[in-house]
Formats: sequence, structure tokens, C-alpha cells
Amino acid sequence: MMFYLVLPFFALVFLVFQTMILDLFFLGKMSLEISLILVIFAGFYMDAMRGGIMAFVLGFLLDCITGSITGVFAFYYVSVFFVSRIVSNRVYAESVFFIGLFTFFCVLCEGLLVTLIYRFIHGVDISFHLFRVYLPQAIVAGVLSPAFFTFFSRFEVLRDVGES
Amino acid sequence: MFFPKKYHAVTIASILIVLSLVILSFNLKRPDEVGFVRKLVMEVAAPIESLITGTFEGIRGVWKRYIFLVGVEDENRSLKKKVDSLTNEIIRYREAYLESIRLKEHLSLRESRRMPMVSARVVGKENSSIFKTILINKGTADGMKAGLAVISVEGVVGRIVESSWNVSRVLLAIDYNSNIDAMIQGTRSQGILQGGGAMGCNLKYVERSEEVKVGDAVLTSGMGGIFPKGLLIGTVVSVDRKDSGLFQKIEVMPAVYFSRLEEVSVILPEEKPL
Repeated sequence: MMFYLVLPFFALVFLVFQTMILDLFFLGKMSLEISLILVIFAGFYMDAMRGGIMAFVLGFLLDCITGSITGVFAFYYVSVFFVSRIVSNRVYAESVFFIGLFTFFCVLCEGLLVTLIYRFIHGVDISFHLFRVYLPQAIVAGVLSPAFFTFFSRFEVLRDVGES
Repeated sequence: MFFPKKYHAVTIASILIVLSLVILSFNLKRPDEVGFVRKLVMEVAAPIESLITGTFEGIRGVWKRYIFLVGVEDENRSLKKKVDSLTNEIIRYREAYLESIRLKEHLSLRESRRMPMVSARVVGKENSSIFKTILINKGTADGMKAGLAVISVEGVVGRIVESSWNVSRVLLAIDYNSNIDAMIQGTRSQGILQGGGAMGCNLKYVERSEEVKVGDAVLTSGMGGIFPKGLLIGTVVSVDRKDSGLFQKIEVMPAVYFSRLEEVSVILPEEKPL
């Protein structure tokens, strides 16, 4: 129960911290979504209830912080969580190569989703961003994700094996 | 828990996905409405962002000011404490001095423009590759609402897109979603200035026949009803007429250095006489 009570606060601090840190390093030219890597990690190791709600809360708060349409990231994070769960149940998901590749794919899909939203809802074509920003972003996230997985696995609260 | 264990994960997945889709479709239908939870998140996030930004600025300052002094010669060590305290004092004075200059400039901006304005402090930044927004410490309680123009001493900053009670989010002019009616100062040719992310802005829909030069000032045209006419937005950095089509490709460097923004002014709608 405590997990659900403290989750919104810690998720908010985590996301704000992520935004600030990344702005310091990348100066707004690129972003590394550690929160997305966390959601993938949760998909691999957490049970559906805890992980699903964590993904939803992270996504919802990210919507609020970035100023995007509420529900976009909430929907995407929840989807990524359950896809990660399904994938991890069917393949050997412990390998560094697989973690990197899967993260790379998820970041690219997010880029595609954002591009489509801009195209069809805001009427702005930012498709060039897919190659100029999201592709390098996906590569960086893919390369760094195994290290983040090792880091996250140190937190016992994120390694709930109750149901999975 | 409440459902058969066999369908536990599927049920939770369905509930969460449907919930997020409901929220998404609700917000797509009412893009101008800021929900209570979103307002609450903005209110809570602003002080956290402010605190983290302050901490980082502090660490950065300490790094710049002190770390490089570690290797000074022995005779300087005895003076270190004195230098430190004097440096701190100077920094405090300098900070106060710079702040007074900025505030004075804001005041003169308000007086020169003869427009009702509210000054606000930047308390948070969202500077990812796609989203370019800032949070300011004024909300609906101070008369803020979506659509109000935000400027600084240097020029146009952007417009407010959502407000909670004490905090507002400003969509910067460089955000892809930002469109500002603009004109070239010399030729008076009009176009739409669209944000281009980290690359600055693009002035669209200026006919190929118009003579636009690098270095020309780009001002607000006053056409959209959000920004008053004649505010500086930036300067032209490149003009490309090579592409076929009716319009030329103009890149604009904003006058405002967004990552250094600390104070801004929000232009309030003028009260119309009865």
C-alpha cells in the first residue's frame, strides 16, 4: 500500500530530476528518457498491478510536465509496460543485447507516436526529427539501458517477483 | 485480487489502457481546458523544479568558483578563507545588482509599451528535444490565462498555454507547436514564424519575390491578436530561394536567449472602455 501512496511523489521528483539533469548535459538538443527505460524494466520484472500503475503514473506526470496532451505518454507507457511483460515472458530477456535492442525499438516507437500526433493533431510535420533526434536518442538509450537495468535492479521495490 | 487470477494481468492492462485512452480523447476534445489534477501537478512540480534548478546552479557555481582553486600555491592558502567570504559577498552583491538592472529594464519595458503587464519569474524549464516550455510563478490568481503573450527585455518569449492557480506554462517561440504572425522590419513582408526546436525558428509563407536579407529584424505583425505589433522576435540568419515553390525558406535566430531567461513580462488584455 505504501508503494502506491509514495509513488506519485517519487515519480514526480524523478521526472523533474530527469528533465533538469538532461537539460544540463544535452542542452535541449537531445533527451534520454530514463523513465521509459524504467517502464521497460518494470515490464520485465514487476507484477502487472504495481508495474502497470507505475507506468500509468509516470506517463501521466510526464504529460503534465512536458505540456503535451494529457494521456499521450500515459497511454504509451502503459502499452510499453504490457508489451515488455508479454515479450519478457516469451523470450530470454536477461541478455544485454536484447535489453538494448528492445529499448532502442521502444524509443523509436515513441518518436513515431509523437511525430504522428504532431502531424495529425497539431498539423506540424516534424518527421525529420525521427532521424535527426529520435534515432540518436534511441541508440544512446539502447546502449545505456543495460547499465540502467543494473542500477534499477538494486532497488528491491522495483524487483517484485510476486506474480511474474 | 478482484478478478480471476488467470485474467489478472489482462484485466489490469485493459483497465489502464482504456483509462489512458479516455483521458486522451477527453483532452483532445477539450484542448483548452486544464484539468484539476494537471493544475495540481503544475503547482507541486514548480517548487521542486525551482529547488532542483537552484541546487544545480549552486553546485555549478561552487564548481566554477572553488574547485579550480584547490591547486593554488601555499602562500595563497592562508588567504583562501578571506577570498571565499569576499567572493561570496561580491557574488551576492553582483546578483542583487544584476537583478535590479533586470527589474529596472522590465519596469522601463512596461512603461515604454504602455500596456498592462505582469512581471513573473521563471521557475521551471522543459527543454527536451521536442517540447520547449517554461513555468512562470504567476497563475490564474494573477489574471493569467491561456493565450496571453509573454515577452522579455530582449523580445518575444512565447505565449501561455495553460495556467493553474499560481503557475503558468509558457510555450516558447521555438516550440514546433508555436506559430506567431510576423513581418520583416525592412520590407514589411509578412509571414508566420514557426518554432524549429533547437534550430531556432522558420519564417514561413514569405513570397519568393520579397527581398529578404540575412540580418533583417523580424517583428510581430500584430495580426494574430495575441502579440502587439512591433515586438522584436529575432533576426534572419539564412534565406533560401533555391527550392521550387511560391515561398522562400527563411531561418530566424530568436532574440531571446531562452536558457538564460529568469524574468518575463506577461501582456494582459487591455480593458475596453464601456
